[in-house]
Amino acid sequence: MVESLFSGEFLALAGAAVAALAGIGSAIGVGVAGEAAAGVVSEDPNKFGQVLLLQALPGTQGIYGLLMAFLIMNKVGLLSGSMASLTMIQGASLFAAAVPIGLVGIFSGIAQGKAAAAGIMLVGKKPSEMAKGMLFAAMVETYAVLALLVSFLMYNNIQI
Amino acid sequence: MAVVEMRKLVVIGLNNIRTPFLQELMALGVVQINSQEGQIDDQEWMPDIFRTSNSADVSRLEADILRVHTALDAINRYDEGKKPLFLIRDEFENDAFDRYMDKEKTAIERNVDTAFLANKTIVESQNEINRLSGLIVGLEPWKNSDLPLQIGETETVSVLFGTTNAKTNFAELAVELQVASPSVIVEQVSADPQQMYISFICLKEERDAALDALRKFSFNMVALSDHEGTAAEAIGNIEKQIEKWETKKAQAEDELKSLSGAKKSMSHLYDSLCVRRDRAKIVGNMVSTEEVFYFDGWMLWNTRDDVEALLEEYDCYFRYEKPAEDEEPPVFLNNGNFATPFEAITSMYSLPSSKDIDPTKWLAPFYFIFFGMMLSDAAYGIIISVVCAVAIKKYKLEGSLYRMVKMFFYCGISTFFWGAMFGGWFGDFFTVAAKLFFGADFTIQPIWFNPLEEPMTLLVFSLILGAIHLFVGMGLQASILIKEGKKVDALCDIGLWYLLLIGLVLYGVGGMVTPALGTIGMVMSIVGAVGIVATGGRTKKGIVGKITGGLGSLYGITSYLSDVLSYSRLLALGLATGVIAQVINLLGSLAGGGITGAIVLTIAFLFGTVFNIAINMLGAFVHSCRLQYVEFFGKFYTGGGKPFEPFERKTKYIKIIKEEKNNG
Repeated sequence: MVESLFSGEFLALAGAAVAALAGIGSAIGVGVAGEAAAGVVSEDPNKFGQVLLLQALPGTQGIYGLLMAFLIMNKVGLLSGSMASLTMIQGASLFAAAVPIGLVGIFSGIAQGKAAAAGIMLVGKKPSEMAKGMLFAAMVETYAVLALLVSFLMYNNIQI
Repeated sequence: MAVVEMRKLVVIGLNNIRTPFLQELMALGVVQINSQEGQIDDQEWMPDIFRTSNSADVSRLEADILRVHTALDAINRYDEGKKPLFLIRDEFENDAFDRYMDKEKTAIERNVDTAFLANKTIVESQNEINRLSGLIVGLEPWKNSDLPLQIGETETVSVLFGTTNAKTNFAELAVELQVASPSVIVEQVSADPQQMYISFICLKEERDAALDALRKFSFNMVALSDHEGTAAEAIGNIEKQIEKWETKKAQAEDELKSLSGAKKSMSHLYDSLCVRRDRAKIVGNMVSTEEVFYFDGWMLWNTRDDVEALLEEYDCYFRYEKPAEDEEPPVFLNNGNFATPFEAITSMYSLPSSKDIDPTKWLAPFYFIFFGMMLSDAAYGIIISVVCAVAIKKYKLEGSLYRMVKMFFYCGISTFFWGAMFGGWFGDFFTVAAKLFFGADFTIQPIWFNPLEEPMTLLVFSLILGAIHLFVGMGLQASILIKEGKKVDALCDIGLWYLLLIGLVLYGVGGMVTPALGTIGMVMSIVGAVGIVATGGRTKKGIVGKITGGLGSLYGITSYLSDVLSYSRLLALGLATGVIAQVINLLGSLAGGGITGAIVLTIAFLFGTVFNIAINMLGAFVHSCRLQYVEFFGKFYTGGGKPFEPFERKTKYIKIIKEEKNNG
C-alpha cells in the first residue's frame, strides 16, 4: 500500500493534481474581482466590458496550472491510454516540477484578484485609467509567469 | 514628427466679425482656445473689459439637445430594426450640411416634438398603470365583501373595514364584539398568512365600544371610502381605467415606432445643436471690450498657413509666442503610418510632457514583436488580422477605436510571422486531424524551431530581445540628457552602464567563443563598475555620501537583472498559447475518428479556439503593455502631458468631410 503511494506513476499524477490546484487561486481571485465588478456595473452598466476584462486577469493562473497538469499527463502517457512505467525518481521529479506553478498559482491568483478588484474600483471612478488598473494586476501575474517558467523548464528536462 | 510643435496664438478681432470668424475657426479645428478665467484682472483695464458669456444661449441650446436626446432614446427603445455594432457616421460635405439643416430643421423639430410628447405619454401612462395596479392589490382581499365601500356612515350606523392579527380566532372575536356592541354584524371577508380581513356594521353610538373590544386583536382600520361600489366592482372599474391607459401607451409606442425612420435626421439635428452649443460656449473663454474680442490659445504650428489666411481674411490682429519655460503646451501626437496605431499604447499610459520625447515610434516595433511572440500561432494571427481588417472596412471605425483595431491588425501579422517561425497552426491541429482521420503523420515544420522542444533557445532569445529593448530605453534617456545639456550625466548614468552590462555579457558569452573577447569583456565591466562607484554619488556631499551613493548605484545592477528576466514571459506566454491549443485538439480527438469524432473535434475546436484567442490576446495585450510601461518607460519616460483639444466640430452621428485629415 505504502509502496504504491511512492510509485513513480502515482507521484507523477499527484504532480499533475498539484499543478491543477493553481485553479484555486484563480477561482478566488476571479471571484473577488467579480464582486467588485458587480458593484461598479450596478452604478454604470456601460462599464461592463471594461470591468470584465479586469475580472478575467486573475484567471490565467488556473490556465497555467491546467497547462502544466496536461503536459505531465501527456508525458506519462495517461491521455493516450498507455501509461509509461516510471521510476520513483522520475515520478518525484515530475511532482517537484508541478509544485512551483501549483503553489505560486494559488497565492498569486488570490493576490491578483485583490489587485484586479482595486483596479475595477479605479475604473468605477476614472474609466480612462483602465490601462493602469490592468497594469497593477499584471504586475502580480509576473510571478505566476515566472513559476510557470520554472515548472516548465524542470518538466522539460526530466527524461522518461 | 512625433510630438507636433505647438505655438501660442494671441488674437484680437472686431466684435462684428466674431460669429462668422468662430464658425470658420471651428471648421478648421486646429486651435485650442484657453479659458481666460482670472487672466485679465489688471486694475487699469478692469472697467473697460468684461468676460463675454452667453450662458443664456448655452443653456437654451443645452435644453434643446436634451430634448432631442430624450426623443432619440425613446425612439431607439422601440425601434425593432437591427442596430449596428458600431455607429457609422453619415458623411456630409462642409456646406452641404448647413444647407441641409437650414432646409429640414423645422420638419425634424416637429418629429422631435412628437417623439418627446409620445415619450412623455408613455411615462405618464406607466406611472398611472402602476398606481392603479397598486390600488387593485389593496382591494383584492375585500373582493368577497358585498358591502359598498363608499358608505362609511349612514345616519344611524357605521360601516368599518379593517385587518386583525392573522392568528385571530374569528369565532372568539365575534363573541367579544357582540358583547361590547349588541347591534354588531361582523363578517370575515378573507385571510392571508399576514392578516385577517374583517368588516362590521354597528350603531354609531356603539362604535367606540366595538373598537375598544377589537383592540386586543390588533385591529387596524382600513380606509376604502375613496372607491365606488363593492370591492369587486371597484376592481372592475380600475381595470377598465388601466386598460384605457394601456391603449394610450400602446398608441404612443406605435407613434414612436413609426418615427424610427426619422431617427437619422434627428441625430443630425442633435449634432448640429451640439456644434452650435460648443460655439456659444467658447465665447465664454474670451474677453471683450465694446469693440473687440480677445482670446489666446494653442495651435498646431504646422497648420499656420491655414490659420493665418483665416485671420487675415477677417482682419484680426494676431501674434505667435513660443511656449514659456513654465508652460506646458497640450500634446498632439503625429507618427508615421505604422506607428500611429500604437499611440493608443502611449496615451493609455500618459501623454509625453514637454520634457519627454514621444516614445510611440520606439515602442511600436517592440510591441509588434512582443505581442506576436506571446500569441505565436500563425492561424490565430490570420484570424485576428482578417477580423480587424473587416471591422475597419465595414464599420468605418474612427478615432481611438480605429487606432486600437488597426494596432491589433498589425499585431495579427506579427502573430502570424512568429507562429510560422515556431510551427504553431491552431497548435498542432493539422497533425491531430491528419492522424485521426487519415492515419497519416503530418506536421507543419516550424521555419525556425519548435519552442516546446527547445525552450532554452527561446528563453535566451527572449532575454536578448529584452536587453535590446532596455538598451534602447537607456539610449533614449541619454539622448534626453544630452539635449538638456547634461552630457556628464548621460556619460555617467548611461554610458558606464552600457560599458558594464555589455562587458558582463561579453565576459560570460564571448569568453566561450574566444578567450580574448572574455578578457575585453572583463576589462570593460571592471572599468564600468569602477566608474559607476566613482561617479554614482557625485551629487552627494561629503566622502561618506559619495561612497555610499556610488555603491548604491552599483547595487542598481539587480534591477537590470530583474528587468531582463521579466522578458522570460515572452517564452512562457508563447508556450501557454501553444499548449492550450494542443489541449483543445487533444480533447477534441478523444472521441476517435469517423463522423462522431469529426463532429466532436469541430465543436471542441471552434469553442476552444475562440476561448484561447480571447484569453491569450488579453494576456499578450496586457503583458506587452507591461513590458513597455514598466521595463521600457521606467528607463526614460515620465509622461503627464495634456491632450490637445482643439476648438472643432465634435459630432457624434455625422462626419464632415473637410475635417477628415485632422481626425487621424
